[in-house]
Amino acid sequence: MAKIEVVMPQLGESLTEGTIIKWHKKPGDKVRKDETLLEISTDKVDSEIPSPASGVVTRLLYAEQTTVAVREVIAEIDTDSSAKASTDAPASKAPAPAQSLPASSTVPAASAQATPMPTTALVQAPAAMAVPGRFYSPLVLNIAREEAIPMQELETVPGTGEGGRVSKKDLLAYVATRKSGTPGRVPGPAFGGAPAPLPSHAPAPAAPRIESMLKPVDGGELAKKYPPPGHEIRQMSNILIKMSEHMVRSVHTSPHVYAIHECDMTNVDKVRRRNADSFLQREGFKLTYTPFICDAIVRAIKEYPLVNSVLEGDKIVLKKFVNLGMAVASENGLIVPVIKNAEERNFIGLARAINDLATRARTKRLTPADIEGGTFTVTNYGVFGTMVGIPIINQPQVAILGTGSIEKRPVVINDAIAIRSTAYFTLAFDHRILDGALGGSFLESVVRHLEGYDDATII
Amino acid sequence: MYASMVLMREFEDAILRLYHQGKIVGGAYSGNGNEATAVASAFALGDGDYILPMHRDLGAHFVRGQSILAMMKQHLGRAGGLTEGRDGTGHYTDPALRIYGNISHLGAMLPVACGIALACTIRKEPNVVMTYIGDGGSNVGEVHEALAMASVMRLPLVLIIENNGYAYSTPVARQFIVDKLSSRAAGYGIPGTTVDGTDLPAVHDACREAVARARSGKGPSIVESVTMRMHGHAAHDNAWYVPKKTLEAWKKKDPIVRFEKFLTDKGLLTRTSRKHLIDGIRAEIDAAAETALALPYPPGEDALRGVYADAEGEN
Amino acid sequence: MRKGKIKPMKTLTYIEAISEGLRDEMRRDPTVFLLGEDIGAYGGAFKVTKGFIEEFGADRVIDTVLAEGAIIGAATGAALAGLRPVAEMQFSDFVANGFNQIVNVAAKYHYRNFIPVPMVVRLPSGGGIRGGPFHSASTEAWFFHVPGLKLVAPSTPYDAKGLMKAAIRDPNPVLYFESKFLYRHVKAEIPDDDYIVPLGVADIKREGSDITVVAYGTAVHWALEAAGKLAADGVSVEVLDLRSLIPLDREAILASVKKTGKLLIVHEATITGGIGAEIAALVSSAAFEYLDAPIRRVASPDTPVPYAPTLEDYVLPNAEKVAAELRSLAAY
Repeated sequence: MAKIEVVMPQLGESLTEGTIIKWHKKPGDKVRKDETLLEISTDKVDSEIPSPASGVVTRLLYAEQTTVAVREVIAEIDTDSSAKASTDAPASKAPAPAQSLPASSTVPAASAQATPMPTTALVQAPAAMAVPGRFYSPLVLNIAREEAIPMQELETVPGTGEGGRVSKKDLLAYVATRKSGTPGRVPGPAFGGAPAPLPSHAPAPAAPRIESMLKPVDGGELAKKYPPPGHEIRQMSNILIKMSEHMVRSVHTSPHVYAIHECDMTNVDKVRRRNADSFLQREGFKLTYTPFICDAIVRAIKEYPLVNSVLEGDKIVLKKFVNLGMAVASENGLIVPVIKNAEERNFIGLARAINDLATRARTKRLTPADIEGGTFTVTNYGVFGTMVGIPIINQPQVAILGTGSIEKRPVVINDAIAIRSTAYFTLAFDHRILDGALGGSFLESVVRHLEGYDDATII
Repeated sequence: MYASMVLMREFEDAILRLYHQGKIVGGAYSGNGNEATAVASAFALGDGDYILPMHRDLGAHFVRGQSILAMMKQHLGRAGGLTEGRDGTGHYTDPALRIYGNISHLGAMLPVACGIALACTIRKEPNVVMTYIGDGGSNVGEVHEALAMASVMRLPLVLIIENNGYAYSTPVARQFIVDKLSSRAAGYGIPGTTVDGTDLPAVHDACREAVARARSGKGPSIVESVTMRMHGHAAHDNAWYVPKKTLEAWKKKDPIVRFEKFLTDKGLLTRTSRKHLIDGIRAEIDAAAETALALPYPPGEDALRGVYADAEGEN
Repeated sequence: MRKGKIKPMKTLTYIEAISEGLRDEMRRDPTVFLLGEDIGAYGGAFKVTKGFIEEFGADRVIDTVLAEGAIIGAATGAALAGLRPVAEMQFSDFVANGFNQIVNVAAKYHYRNFIPVPMVVRLPSGGGIRGGPFHSASTEAWFFHVPGLKLVAPSTPYDAKGLMKAAIRDPNPVLYFESKFLYRHVKAEIPDDDYIVPLGVADIKREGSDITVVAYGTAVHWALEAAGKLAADGVSVEVLDLRSLIPLDREAILASVKKTGKLLIVHEATITGGIGAEIAALVSSAAFEYLDAPIRRVASPDTPVPYAPTLEDYVLPNAEKVAAELRSLAAY
């Protein structure tokens, strides 16, 4: 039989884990290729994951609401159509093939290369191991559920069974010590401090790992402290939790500095108004300020490429492409779709890409690919009337541009007071790489490009 | 006896009609041509005796006292029938009438008959067990096992071999090469006779003799009845393989017609009394069919009941 | 089993316990009688009925013709007529000759007619006696699939007597699988009174907490010996003796597996389509969440039982094979 392993996809280069929100299939179910197998939630997006193959789902290795490191095997599909789901646990096969482990797993190579234990293993007292992705018996999972041990904690329980499997005895021993307050944990990756992603794919900031501040708390207990009707207790959504963790991490990672410039948008506004009807007719959507701003950012990045880089150890990695993220408020929370290779697009191309992403963000049809790979982010809080904002960098990027509300303001031009449409732009940047001079120059460049539009500009 | 033969034929004709109307869900078997054998043999038994009839012996059930309505419900598989829909046709047991119905695996009844006869012997009861086998079924191993056992133990058993010339579609020439099946009795050291199965008095005489022998403790006998099968093996079978000549010859030997003549000659049956009898039987069968058809089938979940007798041995 | 007052005890072998169960019931109930080949003056091929004809007479201890179909069919007929026959198959292998009578006649009779068929067929079963392919079979699985039959397979003298008495008193056809190997290999002190072992009730022959072994018949003894070996390794094995195969004591099986989390099924009969397969299906269906290891089986490979000692020993399970599988499960 042909067995296909379904892994937790890496839905973004900075992502190291995903949370299984819902399984659409259970063991024994048939699944067609590309049919939705599960929903996962990552830092930025909830996604439906299509099945990589047609066949029968034989195993689901993690329960819903479990957070799993990327590239971990999360399910198995038997592509032999006659296959049935095995309700019997597999015979003495070593679970968790080594190659399915994340490369940065903390498991020693020797034990990752698990082999079936000899039948006399018990007498030989094998070393206890914590092997990620190992098989858990129904009983062990049942005990874990009753004892409220999440999967990521279960992964740390030392196993004395074949291939490091956690037996009933192992788990009961663990539960006993856990209750007595001396957790017998094996040092291993803690939840939230997931293994670092592969360097070649996902340069991550060499920042200290921050444990999630958002420990699950008992809602019932909380209600004693904050009794109704004066209080209402809500569960944070996954996206909200991820945002929270992400922002805390960013603040802890990058020393933020800010530069604020005023930008005269009058010319942009004129061009926009003059072309509004023909653009709408031609393109089918409204011409907004956003493509102008994005166009200006791309041009400015070409002048100051350091703004479009990441920090990797003591090295700076300059990105030769501009993947421009734009923060969008959706009903589920903040989401940042990315315009890929914005540097290759002309104005119309940018406008179309922006419209496409914004539309799909609103209609919840973004794919994981849409939100990954950003190299610079722009956030427009001006739509909420905010005049000046102080954004937080979207890690592992090094700068973010925030745009305030565009208002008609009195402006001195040639010593005369004129009425112009202006906005305040804030650049937040990582002072580890960018200094004030560079930040200021970059922002000035953005402003210059925006103010450089004139009546002759043809859209 | 005449009435039983008529009842058997009329009942089976009614069953065939119901079958062709789609009201019989399984098969329908006919003993047309075998009435004299079925009825006369059963008449040779006493009240305490046991009978294990075959599927061509419907008349024997009526001779033993089975009601037309009960048989109709049984054939139609209705709730409240003798097997409550578990089985059809004559496949039922009615201990009160000492009828232990057919088992489709022909020959399988014979060891059971031996067991009942053995029980009579052990309990020193003067009862006789009568059972039947066909020409084809007489080849089944259990028949020989049972005859071996019954003869050695001198069990009070009478075996009627109904030789109607065909085992389903296979003529008897392909079933055995002895002239008479009764001659097989010699192999067990027991008496065997062959009678004309369309001749009711002849069948009755032979059976009475065999029953008397069994009751006296002398052991089993075989009575071979050379009989006929006017229809196919079952209602789905038109018996195309039976030569026309044979059928025509058989028709002339119809056991009922033959016995009618016997009775008429003796002044025991008139045209009026015959009509009166047949009309009465038909009316009773029709009424039974109507009653039975109005009954529901048993509820589906009833299928799970009764696989085992409970610990007290009750139903 | 009666409790309380101390009853007189006596030491009996397994085969003596079978005889005692038969004798007890024949003394208690005049409708009980025996039939089979060579069971009268000769006392049976294995001497189970030795001395019976002297006590009960030829009317109740009946030597029959050599015809298994007739023997079983006659037992069925006698049962229908109100007696309680106990038929002996000389070897369980020979029951094939009477198969039709059991599966088509006896098993279906009550269902079809609501008339009880209180009969017992005794089947001397199993190998280990150098009997070769025609005298060593364990045939219980042939009948496990047949609704209407009850199947018992005692492992101890106590159960052998108690199950025999219960089987005779049961209103259904009961197949009594007696282990030829155990006939004279096991001996125990058992009560001298009128106790029965109810059908459908399993028995924990050894309590344990780590692994459950479900077994019956000879296999119970392999399991007990293996459990002793495992105890030395610190593994606590529970041995559940089914005693009855139909009715199957599902509650006892599930309760034990829920306690231990691991299950090994042991039987002498061949593995494919055996009793163990049904038990495995039951447990995986009804106790999946309690399993800490795959369900395993130790049974004979799918071959007839061969004659030469090396071949037979290779094929039949034994305590060592059970212990090896238990170690593997313990380590899992």
